[in-house]
Formats: sequence, structure tokens, C-alpha cells
Amino acid sequence: MNFEQFQNQSRLYVIGALEPEELDEFEKAREKFGKQAEDFISKCYALHEAFALSLRPAKSSDAIKDRLMAMVKAKKQP
Amino acid sequence: MAQSESGPRTVPPPLEPGAPSDFELMKGIQAGDADALSQLYDRYNGILKALILRVIHNEAEADDLLQEIFMEIWNQAKNFSEQKGKPLGWMVTLARRRAIDGLRKKQAYARAEERLQNETEQQPDAWVHNATEEEIVLGDTRVLIRKVISSLPPAQQQAIELAFFRGMSQREIAAKTNTPLGTVKTRLELGLKKIYDGLKDLKDEL
Repeated sequence: MNFEQFQNQSRLYVIGALEPEELDEFEKAREKFGKQAEDFISKCYALHEAFALSLRPAKSSDAIKDRLMAMVKAKKQP
Repeated sequence: MAQSESGPRTVPPPLEPGAPSDFELMKGIQAGDADALSQLYDRYNGILKALILRVIHNEAEADDLLQEIFMEIWNQAKNFSEQKGKPLGWMVTLARRRAIDGLRKKQAYARAEERLQNETEQQPDAWVHNATEEEIVLGDTRVLIRKVISSLPPAQQQAIELAFFRGMSQREIAAKTNTPLGTVKTRLELGLKKIYDGLKDLKDEL
């Protein structure tokens, strides 16, 4: 696998779309390309952020935050 | 041609002057500052809720999951590393994983499928055409990202949506869309590359 092929596979990898039989080869290439591979995979995670930002924000129930903060407060108390 | 130097960049909504950055809030959470979590919640609950809803298609379940996810952010903040990316990316990855896990575990899967089917019939390109007039006028990052996504052929958009928001494998997408496996792989590769490259271009405009 050359680096361009690795890049294509990386974009599939970060969204969990590599098939099991592709993962072995991907992991071998990841090891072969070392830091360059790790840096590229990290950059690919920007796709997650982009997909989330592509959606119109949804309104949450006001009670959710109250419950969350109450749980956090309870957890912090000894 | 191989990619090089810088990766894609996305920019979350602009902050009020003087407001702490996401990194500063994450440091606060790591130090046990509940107010930092409160601010992070106010900043991103809408984005994360939209993501969860896109996966599970149920308002009440999405609210419950949102609460669980922010609790996980609080509990797992120590595992966040600035070197590995931005807080929003980390939160989205976490939220997506939880939402897809939740979807798979629930018997509600079948009901969600039915809802998705209905929504797809009523609104085929909902992923990229759900901007309000106000958002379009704002011309913000969201609109630019939508532009990149909406420039893809519908079949590529569909393959990416099923993989990202439904957690489907290539084989599952092939079966669902009655498309050869190799075609699904090509659609995903081409579509993701275009989005990745489009995001890289965005950073020159923002």
C-alpha cells in the first residue's frame, strides 16, 4: 500500500467504515508509515467535527443541564 | 496526488470577546471545575444533540444520551490530550460512538429505521438542506461545510451518511442500497476525499 492508498483508507478508518479484512493491511501500513501515518489519521478526525457542524443545532430540554450539573455536584461531594 | 502538510480545519461558532477557549474549558474540567463543564455544555449541547438525533431519531432518548455524554466528558476529561486534536472533535467522536452503541443495543433500532425511512422519503437530502434562512444569511462555517457536502453526488452523500451517522459497514451499506461492495467503497473514498480537501480549502477562506 502506498501513502495515497493509506490516506484513502485512513478516511474510512476514522468513520469506522473499514471492513475487518482491510484492517490488518491498514494496521501494517500504519506501522510502516509511522509518525506520518499517525499525523494523517489525527487530521482525518476533523471529518467528525465537520459532519457534526454540518447539522443544524438542536434544542435540548432545559432539565438536562440541571440534571447534569446536579450529578456533577453530587459526584464532587465526598 | 498525495495529501501533505496541513490537514482540514473546521471552525466552531465564534466566541464572545473574553470568553475562555475550548482548550481552557477542558483544562478547567480536568481540574474539576464544574463551571467549565457548564460553559462547555452551553457552547456545544446543540451541536451534540443534533448529532445524536441524527443517529437515533428520538427526541427523549437523545436528551438522555446527551446528559450521559456530558457526564462522560466530565469523567473522561483526563484522557483528552491537546496534542491529539481539538476538544470539539474529541467530544463529537465520543458522542457519535455512544449514539451508535445506543442505537445498536436498543430494540428501537427497527423503529428508528422506520422513522429514517419516512424522513428519507419526505426529505431525501435532509443532511445538507436543513439550514434555516437565517443560517444561510449568516454565511457561517456550518453553511460552508454544508456547501462542501452538498457538492457531492447524492450517492456519495448517502454512503457517507449511512457510514457516519448510522455506523454501517461497507457491506451493510451495499446490502441496504443494493449496490456492489466495490462501488460503495469507491463512493466512500471519493466522497470523503472531496470533503477532506474541501475543508482544507475552507481554511483559506475563513
